[in-house]
Amino acid sequence: MQISGRRTIHLFLLPITVYLIIFFLYPVLFELYISFFDYSLGSPKKFIGIKNYLAMLKDEEFIISLRITSVFVVSAVFCQLTFGLLIAILLNHESRIMNIIRTLILIPTVFTPLVAGLVWKALLHPDLGPVTYYLRQLGINIGRGLTVERSTALFSIVMIDVWEWTPLMVIIILAGLKSLPEEPYEAGRIDGASAWHLFRYITLPLLRPTVVVALLIRTLDALKIFDIIWAITRGGPGTATTVANIRIYDVGLQHLRIGYASSLSNVLLVIGILIGVLFVNVLYSRKYGGIR
Amino acid sequence: MTIFKSYSLKKKIFLAVRILIVITFLFFFLYPVFWVIQTAFKQRIDMFSLPPQYVFKPVMENFKFIFEKMHVFQWTLNSSIISLGTVVLSLIMGVPAGYAFSRVKFRGKYLLLMFILLTRALPPVIIVLPFRVIMHTIGLFGTRMAVILIDTVYNAAFTAWLMSGIFENIPVDLEEAGIIDGCTPIQAFIRIALPLSKPGLVTSALFAFIFSWNDFLFALSLTSPPTATLPLGMLSTFGMLSVGWTYMAAMGVIAVIPVVVVSLLLQRYYVSGLTFGGVK
Repeated sequence: MQISGRRTIHLFLLPITVYLIIFFLYPVLFELYISFFDYSLGSPKKFIGIKNYLAMLKDEEFIISLRITSVFVVSAVFCQLTFGLLIAILLNHESRIMNIIRTLILIPTVFTPLVAGLVWKALLHPDLGPVTYYLRQLGINIGRGLTVERSTALFSIVMIDVWEWTPLMVIIILAGLKSLPEEPYEAGRIDGASAWHLFRYITLPLLRPTVVVALLIRTLDALKIFDIIWAITRGGPGTATTVANIRIYDVGLQHLRIGYASSLSNVLLVIGILIGVLFVNVLYSRKYGGIR
Repeated sequence: MTIFKSYSLKKKIFLAVRILIVITFLFFFLYPVFWVIQTAFKQRIDMFSLPPQYVFKPVMENFKFIFEKMHVFQWTLNSSIISLGTVVLSLIMGVPAGYAFSRVKFRGKYLLLMFILLTRALPPVIIVLPFRVIMHTIGLFGTRMAVILIDTVYNAAFTAWLMSGIFENIPVDLEEAGIIDGCTPIQAFIRIALPLSKPGLVTSALFAFIFSWNDFLFALSLTSPPTATLPLGMLSTFGMLSVGWTYMAAMGVIAVIPVVVVSLLLQRYYVSGLTFGGVK
């Protein structure tokens, strides 16, 4: 849609462009620049070329944190998709009770993540947590507690992320289910297809674009995980839950090694941009019918 | 007849099983919410009893304590100022931009839109580090303004994207008629397009509010004690395990109620924003 002779409208883009250049592009470029320096807050900076990047290759803690990040993102998003699909399909029925459930299920997604983290920390407390108590009553061996055992700490973070964000998956998939056309189902029923076949050969393929958007939204957001981990384990026990974000925060804002932290950030930046570009292209082609 | 009856009975049983499974899931999603609310009204003695007690005499003393003995009022005020500031600034930046995206073609439109959306894609830790250095340099470190500025980076971009979709769906004819009648393009935008885009404005404002109210990392990195927000304050109470979780729970209730109530009241808008406009 276009209005002739409305060049003034171009000016509407000016505020956000200037704003993002100052407060987004400039910080990112500053980060690129400073990653070539030995720089700590308060002390003079010294140019050291690519030494920060070379140091990173030998920085076992950072490499481990990247591995933990990928394990976290993949398992959290996978569980969210599986449960999200299941719950969305069960909920896809017009009745009052389903409507009420669709509303209530939204609550975790708006729950302040840090509060969610603290609440779960209490629920999973090794000695006093109610959930710990119930799990032990059920005879499940959770050692000293889910969040304090090395082997289960990351699992408990995944579980809390699944708690918080599966409902988002449910809502997106429900919206996708609602927009499906009726005709293929009628044709399928006439041909005598079973409910499972209708689901497998009609619903799933038609739902694919929705699932792709949902997966990308969740992957991008899962890469941002910070608050819940900060509230519960701060990266521990040991490095069991130290995702890249926590590691970068520690190096940059706890130890104030800004130069080195910047070089670590840039690795994450590249990963974020790659997934982000993919995401934007999918959204853009959905909205404008192709990339121009 | 009998065939029909058994068919509908089967259907009913099927539906009942379906509802039962969903309610089981719902229990998992709502138990922590239920727990924090009831803990906020518990006495310390009831707090740690195992098995957990769900029948007890509710008291208000936790709320009284956190408002009298802690800076909850100040934290709530800070959270509110930061959230409202972000809402206003994001709309000012994002709404005109979204309008421009939907109404004019220009070279680099795709690239600019891409750039805008990318802000949303990057982990906050990446940007908060250089942002803090810059805030130090210009003397804004430790202020609420610093948090508003960085929250707006994320939300102005989201608003621009969302609003461009909203304006796409508003026919351009009305504005053209207005221009023929002597409106300037800016007047046409403010008087004709803007009132029609109300649902989009509500969604954008709601998301900017939820984002900045729920933010923790930016507040953690950019505020000082007098400008701390609710999540930061809460973190400090958790250390007081000796006094129990009742204060923490009371603060949690205070922190969470505004976002939960507002987004459930505006559920339609909330759901439409959740899908990024990507599912229609």
